[in-house]
Amino acid sequence: MKVFVFDLDACNGCHNCQVACKDEHCATNWLPYAEEQPDTGQFWCKVDEEVCGRVPHVRVNYLPHLCNHCDNAPCIVAAPEAVYKREDGIVIIDPRAAHDPEALVASCPYGAIFWNKELGIAQKCTGCAHLLDDGWAEPRCVDSCCTGALRFGNEEDFAEEIARAEVLIPEAGTAPRVYYLNKPKRFIAATIVDIEADEVVEDAMVTLQRIIDDEVVAEVRTDELGDVWLENLEPDRYRMRVSKEGYLDLHQEFDLSEKDRSVPEMRLYRVPAAV
Amino acid sequence: MGIETRGETVYRGIAWSAFACSANTAAVDVKDGKIIRIRPLHYDEVSTEEQRKPWRIEARGKVFEPGKKTLLPPLSLTYKKRIYSPNRVLFPMKRVDWDPNGERNPQNRGLSKYERISWDEATTLIASEIKRIHDTYGPLAIMCQADGHGETKVVHAPHGAQAMMLELCGGYTLQARQPDSWEGWYWGAKHMWGMDPVGMQVNQRNLYKDVCEHGDAVLYWGCDLETTPWGWGGQQPSRMAYFLEELGLKSFFVSPDLNYTGACHRGKWIPVLPNTDAALQLAIAYVWITEGTYYKEYVESHTVGFDWFEYYVLGNEDGVPKTPKWAEEKCGVPSYTIKAFARYWAKHAVSIAHADGGGMIRSPFSHEPARLEIVLLAMQGLGRPGTGQLHMIEFGQFGFDEWNPMPRSEKYFEVPGAYHGWMETIGRQNFFPKTMTPQALTLPEGEKLRWYGHVVCTAPRADQFVPFEFPADGAPMIHMVVSDSPSWTTCWNGGYSMQEALRNERVETIVMQHPWFENDTAFADIILPVNTMFEEKDVAVDNWSGQFNMMYIQDDCIEPLGESKSDYECAIEVAKKLERYGGPYENLVQRYTQGKTVDEWIEAGFESAQADSLMTYDEFAEKKMCLAPTADGWEDDPVALRAWYDDPASQPLSTPTRKIEIYSTGLAEHFPDDTERPIVPHWIEETEEHKERISSDRAVNYPFLMVTNHPRWRVHSEHDDVTWMREIRTCKVEGPDGYLYEPVWMNPVDAGKLGLEDGDVVRVYNERGSVLGGMYVNERIMPGAVYQDHGARVDPIVTGKCGLDRGGANNLICPTATTSKNAAGEATNGFLVNVEKVDVFSLAEEYPEQFGREYDPSDGLRVSAWLVDGQ
Repeated sequence: MKVFVFDLDACNGCHNCQVACKDEHCATNWLPYAEEQPDTGQFWCKVDEEVCGRVPHVRVNYLPHLCNHCDNAPCIVAAPEAVYKREDGIVIIDPRAAHDPEALVASCPYGAIFWNKELGIAQKCTGCAHLLDDGWAEPRCVDSCCTGALRFGNEEDFAEEIARAEVLIPEAGTAPRVYYLNKPKRFIAATIVDIEADEVVEDAMVTLQRIIDDEVVAEVRTDELGDVWLENLEPDRYRMRVSKEGYLDLHQEFDLSEKDRSVPEMRLYRVPAAV
Repeated sequence: MGIETRGETVYRGIAWSAFACSANTAAVDVKDGKIIRIRPLHYDEVSTEEQRKPWRIEARGKVFEPGKKTLLPPLSLTYKKRIYSPNRVLFPMKRVDWDPNGERNPQNRGLSKYERISWDEATTLIASEIKRIHDTYGPLAIMCQADGHGETKVVHAPHGAQAMMLELCGGYTLQARQPDSWEGWYWGAKHMWGMDPVGMQVNQRNLYKDVCEHGDAVLYWGCDLETTPWGWGGQQPSRMAYFLEELGLKSFFVSPDLNYTGACHRGKWIPVLPNTDAALQLAIAYVWITEGTYYKEYVESHTVGFDWFEYYVLGNEDGVPKTPKWAEEKCGVPSYTIKAFARYWAKHAVSIAHADGGGMIRSPFSHEPARLEIVLLAMQGLGRPGTGQLHMIEFGQFGFDEWNPMPRSEKYFEVPGAYHGWMETIGRQNFFPKTMTPQALTLPEGEKLRWYGHVVCTAPRADQFVPFEFPADGAPMIHMVVSDSPSWTTCWNGGYSMQEALRNERVETIVMQHPWFENDTAFADIILPVNTMFEEKDVAVDNWSGQFNMMYIQDDCIEPLGESKSDYECAIEVAKKLERYGGPYENLVQRYTQGKTVDEWIEAGFESAQADSLMTYDEFAEKKMCLAPTADGWEDDPVALRAWYDDPASQPLSTPTRKIEIYSTGLAEHFPDDTERPIVPHWIEETEEHKERISSDRAVNYPFLMVTNHPRWRVHSEHDDVTWMREIRTCKVEGPDGYLYEPVWMNPVDAGKLGLEDGDVVRVYNERGSVLGGMYVNERIMPGAVYQDHGARVDPIVTGKCGLDRGGANNLICPTATTSKNAAGEATNGFLVNVEKVDVFSLAEEYPEQFGREYDPSDGLRVSAWLVDGQ
């Protein structure tokens, strides 16, 4: 059984996967596997991107996604006569079998199915099954990836990685065959500054506690640039303490439930000298 | 239910350096005259591992290898869309109101439409115009625009084929192209450390391995290795950067924008206002000098004139110490960050990476930050383990293998014997710099244009001391333009001036040949249809992948579309008609082609490559692929500047003193009074020609500094019609009128002040004119700066000075002046603009014809918009 494994730490956002899919499937049909993909506006493989944080603490997250080739595929339930699962795990919508495209689009919690109105059919990623069956090793999206971020192969060969990977929308319970490594969570970033001395504060202890249960989720020191990056945080509310000998402790609360947080200049003040 | 999915595979370089060198080797599957797919070449398809001898860089317990397939950019993968673009020029065309025997209406260039004509009519017209110009003014009255980046072809060379032909019948005046992506290194750094011909650290041997083993950090200073290498080098630099991270090196991204490198690699972004790097650099030097944290002995033994620099930095020269606080006001980096950054650098082994471009090197006075970078590298003992100026693009360019930080290949293929392209400028008298073309075309009779140097990227340092003028004594002004690179206005400085110049009455005839109707083609009188690289058989070399070097025969994949021909064939067609005039044109076709077929040219190319030790021509003709292995013993090559570091006398530089000349003796001798490029590098606030600082009076009206990077989703102005790119988030922004505008990035702080939102259509403008764009409000650009990639396709609403362009081709509003008064480079980044929201619907009412041009959001403007009756 085949799986896709995406390592998001290695994705450079080049969009090769997205355009290679179009190169293979637009203006060429691979019947009986697939009809042509429309030239624009529909994406059997797509890279989303989001910009997080504030200047100068900014990260860009790329998220390539395609059909999850679920083992518990809602699209098969929605149209069992038209959608089938192959022995290698790939899910195919038979372009020649009668189906209600709108219902198929609606059935997919991932938005991976598109309604090709011109042809009157529902379409999605075929895992380039036409290539696999003709002896090619990988789908086009994977073959075009330069950094090794996208890989494809037998489930057992990826066992170790799958064990620490996650899937998109696990609560949908569809048992996807597309796994993600290093999917970013939320971050807090700040540059800690002694504004009176006009210096960054190096080696300050930054402690982060979850507000709901006071659990300490991170304890790190600022680096030589006065920066602290607290990453892989769950969307939750936190309390930060910054402390360094000779300085007054700084406390600040952060709500990460909506987005990442950045403080370009977080000011730490010296303990006043005794009068 | 298996089906046949394969086709016949053609190996083909899909790149746009234009010159006979590149990378991006792809496997193109063709079936029944149709391109099925473009995919990476897997090296195993054409060679065995024993033949390749793949290198291994081992450092800190980890291994980096070349990879098993070529690392194509999306620009190559999507090329089908460019080949079959609805914007292809498929037959010869003539401007409807250009009558060579009557009214030529030059004032209507850029406005009037075109009609289809036959090849016979087109070439007869061109030949008779050449003959007439030759007879009336002399051959030098024809300017050849025959340079720049276009499809990489060899026998069918995209640039210069027509110039080679004209050279055989009297000559021409050449528009000489500058190194537009490394101006500052060329005009500045060379005077400090030689390093001909580029001005960057041209000895790179084993530098990447050295940084892997000994480096602590890499500064990506304006460097976007996730963008600029794509056009002709592919994505190996991305893998290289990932490996450095894996080894634990820290990355810094120093640029106004969190560019595409900063977007995917992890590190510290230091946002610096456009073209203020020199202030940041001086403040770093100030910290090191005042804290005594630089390599004093090295500076004494390896450099000349540090005392002059120190005197200036400490404020003894002008009463202004170049403190971090001083710099903060100019460059926008907090002084505490400058100090921390300077101290970090002084404690670690730090390299600076470049991949061509980066704003500072293409801005006014770019020679100053370039020289200052060399000073900083020298102050930290340049050449000691893990330090250097790392070049992450164009590995082994110009055929010298030390200009490559990656493991050496046994062979750097060059095929000059097959090349019909762009000729060297060096030695030529009849030329002018490309940065001065508008001035040259409009020069008042009796006046001269003056500059220094041949300006071409291969010229040595001392060439910049040679004065030139146009027109040379006795030579004519320009009366005819023959161009195979109609994209001046989208790539150079002051494009609206160029549009104006192309309408100059003195320019009687403009002939352009190009595969697509774009940018400057709308200013032509006659247009010849050129085919794409996929439509011709040719030879290719791949030296720049950072993987394995190759030379190969690329068969044509499809028949030429419409009536298109290659640039080489276009020149032959014109030559045929010129022959009729006899005299200097006699036997022109034979002299031009030497009677050789394409296959014979390929054979001549193979012979010139001197690759006999790898294979014979017969083998090459049969296998079509010649791959060079990694050189044996590459690991033992001495590291770049290590010997220099140990003993400067053992590896002297090419400067007059053989050392790093912080006091540039060449400039002192030839330009002692130049205050714009002074003998010792300085912060230049502004000059008469360039008032592009936030301190300038102009900033009251134009308060933002503009970033115009080399584009992510194009090569300069190519690829803007590729449908699969245009639907990518950062490629275009859809306006309320459905038009896809070129994105304008603005920080939410500035957007908030101006009341602008995502998707708004805005006018980016200064007194030189305006271009439109679509707002992308985001945190990848610092407050005070505005970002828009350069090279969007021109969609003219109002042409010429103070014009308005819908496409967003911001070179139109760049400064017209060159880098500085004695440096004829381009200044196309870091200039002042303002931004305001426009109502596209009322603009459309005001300019119904321009807004009514045939346009499809998926691919943009179409050639049919410019044809009478939309043929």
